[in-house]
Amino acid sequence: MNPPGSLGVLEEKEEEHIATPILGPSIHSDNPQERIQARRLRIAARLEARRREALGEYLDGKKENEEDQSKSYKQKEESRLKLAKLLLCGTELVTNIQVATDTREIHRRVEEEEIKRQRLEKLENEVKTSQDKFDEITVKWEEGKQRRIPQELWEMLNAQQVHCAGLIEDKNKLISELQQELKIKDDQYVKDLKKQSDDICLLLERMEEQVKNVMKTFRQELQNIEKAFEVERQELLTSNKKKWERALQAHNAKELEYLMNRIKKVEDYEKQLNKQRVWDCEEYNTIKIKLEQDVQILEQQLQQMKATYQLNQEKLEYNFQVLKKRDEESTVIKSQQKRKINRLHDVLNNLRSKYNKQVKQFQEENQSLTSDYKRLVLQFKELQKAMRHFALIDDKQFREIWLMNEEEAKDLINRAFDVDRIIHTHHLGLPWMAPNFWFLKNVGPISQQQQKSATQILEEVLMEAEEEGADEDSSGSESYLDLPKQVSARTTRKILMLLCDESGFLIESKLLSLLLPLEKSECYLLRLDAIFSALGIENEDDLYKLVNFFLKYQTHHSPPSQEPLDLRAEKAGSLVDGKSQEKEPPPSPKLIHPNDVLKILEAFVMGLRKPKDSWVPVKLLKVVRDDSKDSEYWKALTTVIPATTLNLWDALYTALEKYHLVLTQRAELLIENSSLERQNTELQQLLQQYLDTKINSELQVPPTQVFRVPTK
Amino acid sequence: MQETQTTESPSIPSRSSTSTQDRSSAVGQTSSTSPQPSKPTPIIPPLVKPTGPGSGSGVRWMRRIIAEDAEWSLAIVPLLTELCIQHIVKNFQNNPILKQLLPEHQKKVLSHLSPDLPLAVTANLIDDESYWRRCCTQRWPVCHVDNHGGSWKRMFFELHLENLLKHFIPNTTDPAVILNMLPLCRNYVRALRVDQFLPPVQLPAPPRGGDQSDSGSEGEMEEPAMDHYQLDDLVAGLSHLEELDLVYGVKDCGMNFEWNLFLFTYRDCHSLAATVKACHTLKIFRLTRSKVDDDKARILIRSLLDHPALEELDLSHNLIGDRGARAAAKLLSHSRLRVLNLANNQVRAPGAHSLAHALGHNSNLISLNLRLNCIEDEGGQALAHALHTNKCLTTLHLGGNELSEPTATLMSQVLTINTTLTSINLSCNHIGLDGGKQLLEGMSDNKTLLEFDLRLSDIARESEYLIGQALCANREAARQRALNPSHFMSPVTAKGPENPVG
Repeated sequence: MNPPGSLGVLEEKEEEHIATPILGPSIHSDNPQERIQARRLRIAARLEARRREALGEYLDGKKENEEDQSKSYKQKEESRLKLAKLLLCGTELVTNIQVATDTREIHRRVEEEEIKRQRLEKLENEVKTSQDKFDEITVKWEEGKQRRIPQELWEMLNAQQVHCAGLIEDKNKLISELQQELKIKDDQYVKDLKKQSDDICLLLERMEEQVKNVMKTFRQELQNIEKAFEVERQELLTSNKKKWERALQAHNAKELEYLMNRIKKVEDYEKQLNKQRVWDCEEYNTIKIKLEQDVQILEQQLQQMKATYQLNQEKLEYNFQVLKKRDEESTVIKSQQKRKINRLHDVLNNLRSKYNKQVKQFQEENQSLTSDYKRLVLQFKELQKAMRHFALIDDKQFREIWLMNEEEAKDLINRAFDVDRIIHTHHLGLPWMAPNFWFLKNVGPISQQQQKSATQILEEVLMEAEEEGADEDSSGSESYLDLPKQVSARTTRKILMLLCDESGFLIESKLLSLLLPLEKSECYLLRLDAIFSALGIENEDDLYKLVNFFLKYQTHHSPPSQEPLDLRAEKAGSLVDGKSQEKEPPPSPKLIHPNDVLKILEAFVMGLRKPKDSWVPVKLLKVVRDDSKDSEYWKALTTVIPATTLNLWDALYTALEKYHLVLTQRAELLIENSSLERQNTELQQLLQQYLDTKINSELQVPPTQVFRVPTK
Repeated sequence: MQETQTTESPSIPSRSSTSTQDRSSAVGQTSSTSPQPSKPTPIIPPLVKPTGPGSGSGVRWMRRIIAEDAEWSLAIVPLLTELCIQHIVKNFQNNPILKQLLPEHQKKVLSHLSPDLPLAVTANLIDDESYWRRCCTQRWPVCHVDNHGGSWKRMFFELHLENLLKHFIPNTTDPAVILNMLPLCRNYVRALRVDQFLPPVQLPAPPRGGDQSDSGSEGEMEEPAMDHYQLDDLVAGLSHLEELDLVYGVKDCGMNFEWNLFLFTYRDCHSLAATVKACHTLKIFRLTRSKVDDDKARILIRSLLDHPALEELDLSHNLIGDRGARAAAKLLSHSRLRVLNLANNQVRAPGAHSLAHALGHNSNLISLNLRLNCIEDEGGQALAHALHTNKCLTTLHLGGNELSEPTATLMSQVLTINTTLTSINLSCNHIGLDGGKQLLEGMSDNKTLLEFDLRLSDIARESEYLIGQALCANREAARQRALNPSHFMSPVTAKGPENPVG
């Protein structure tokens, strides 16, 4: 039986491996072989471990090269393998004892079983034999009962006793044998105990050594690993330090840069802030001042407003009072006025009655005066007749005188022309042209027949028509000398008015707008002016032609009272005396329908083109002659020799004078010259004489030498 | 007590000062000679006062310094809180005040409590690990807190309870001793590892030494009197119990060996079975070195059928035969067992057959240990056949099972097919040279196996070496697999391969 303590301890796993397992003498024969086997095994394992370690190292080295593994890792791996091997071997060594014990136990058990079996066999045999013997004995006991004979019985008893003793002896022998065995077993037990204690001691020793060894190797490996780690750590430290320093430097540089930037920024910002502050302060102050000023102004305004308010209030109150008073006053005045109106009404009535009286009075006066006037008019007409008569006579006289003077003047002119011609031809040598002046051909007094423009006539017509409006009946056509005799001014006016109304289209629209604010008469005037300019009516004749045309048209289309030929003949005849046909009733313009106006106008215009200069109307000499022309005429006569010619004459005269003077001087000079020549010749002869004298040659310096003898 | 008082008292006033001064005062305590003249802090004077009555020489020495200290004044006295805390600590046993204090004060109080205080006071009141650590280290020289879930309090109570159980002598010791502990430790104990149950003795002598041998020989006649302590009451009380590790035997008996010292009686077995069945939180159940034979094993396993939590069953170093193995096989299909350990029993081929049959359809079991049994080739072949269909088992221990070449042939086939197995142990068998070669062939196709123990199994060294090579390659591959999907740091991964080795 195995002591349980040793087995329990065996479970622990450490054991030294240096001490070879020298086991004590074993009871089993094959044990030493097994020991040797185990030892060999262990050695082989150790060798293998070493080999593997070296291989591992090599591999690790390779690995380091390949994978750039750290030294520590390599060391660790190495140590791990080594220690694993160590532990494995150690455990094997320790457990070897257990295994050996197990085997021993098994062998012991086998042997024990064998012995037990033998013993049991033996015992069974013994039991069998003893049983046989016992049976024999018991059989004999039966036999002994049958024996009667004492000797026999004694003998048998003796024999039986011997047998029993033999049996007991056998048993005792067996017992002693067994006891012997037991003793041996006891001894064995003691031996086993000793053996076990030895085993345990060995185990402990091994374990202790194993522990020591393991600890030593562990420590060593730990040191190695630590060393490797230390080296690696150093390397790492240095590299990291370098890295760190580099990073730190970079960091410092950056930090410094940032700091500088920051400082700069801070300064900038401070400056800006200060500036801003100052600016703000100023602004604040200015605003404050402004606002205070504003406040002051506003307060002042408020005060003023208050004052004005006060004032206004007072004023209004005062006004109110005044108005009240006024109201009272006005009521008073109203009553007064009413009274006054009544009074004035009375006055008015009185005045009216007075006025009526006066009217009557003046009517009477008027009647008397008109009668006076009629009388005076008759007188005036007669006076006019007389005057006209005198006028004709004056004209005749004037004409005669004129002709006489003219003849005289013309003689003078002719003489002047002759002189001029002589001067021109003889003195100046220029061809002379007889001047062709109109007045030279003129005989008799100049009748200036300047034509009035259509507008002037119009004006007159209109003016006269207006004047005529007052007294129709006394419409003397004498005043209308410029008008054709057969056409009254009123008719003309009417015709013109009609024309003006109907042919508005000929007027420009612009003009119309301008005409609006004007007077009626003026308006008509301007309108007619425009119409005439459009129709091409320029002068008096055209206008008359127009009027006549109207009238003719009227006569043609309405009752043909007068023939146009007749009219023309009358006209031609009336050149001298225009009054003969003045009584001829003028065709009433009322008959002319406004619709016909355009047709008439058209016909007139058509007709106006052709007979423009067919017949020029002879103008009437006015009673009052124009003296300006006369004087001009006469002045022209005086200046028939133009001023240039006169100047020429003057200049010629002066020149001739000078020429005469020169000629006379020349004549004198000629006389003088001839006398001088004569003197000269005498003197020359004298000189020649002197020069030819001998004295000259005798002289040191002959005068001939000095001056050159004028050679001839 | 006087000692502790003096050591405590200087530290208490220092606590009164602010946290920043705390450190300086601590420094001043340990090496107060050099810094004191240079920096006369106001903390020093209060230090002096309580230490004054403690040691006369120190007082003189301190006084000399104080005389030079211009700023020192008598007006400074310990704060009231300090005094109160001191008092609370002094009278904690009679009047435990802890929860009402402020956290900082709680800390101070806990740091000055004596580990000797009765458990009835401290058990449910103090949760502070540092206090329980002091308790543990004071009581046991070696403390593996890792075995107790990293909790010092749990460790303390577990060890305490185990200690009580170890030294419990039936009919002699008062059961109340243990049952009184129950309300104190019920919330903290998760594992019970008792490696000794003492048998009852007639004599009032201690259960050790030569007296026991006589009594044991005498007590052989009266069988029922040999029952051990009945765990049912205790286990029923421990609401968080997960692990139960029991050994019905006596330790350190030495030459006083008596068979009846190692007697696991039927009553014991029945009561234990009932206890285990009642404990629904139990995950790990170990009953080793307790002479459990087939019948007892069947009694136990029957009680474990359809257990809701059990994951590990360890019945190693017992006397279980084929019937017990059959029962265990039945348990495999009626529970969620992950680890089954039947090492060093008497399982033979029929038992292995039944286990293999259960294993073929099981999808929970990870580890199966049949070390030092005698299943022989017949059982080995059956297991190998079962491994053809099993997709769950990772660890298989068949060391010392008289296996030979036929099993090796089948195992090599398994190796080519199976991808879950990581560890196989076939040591101490008679596999032979041909078997080794076949295993090597199988191994050449396998990429998952990390351990393959073939020591002392008559294999040619060459094949063993080559198998070792293949295993190394597999281990390396496994390490890479573990490394790649989760990018651990290299130191972590470096340890990776060690773990499967261990």
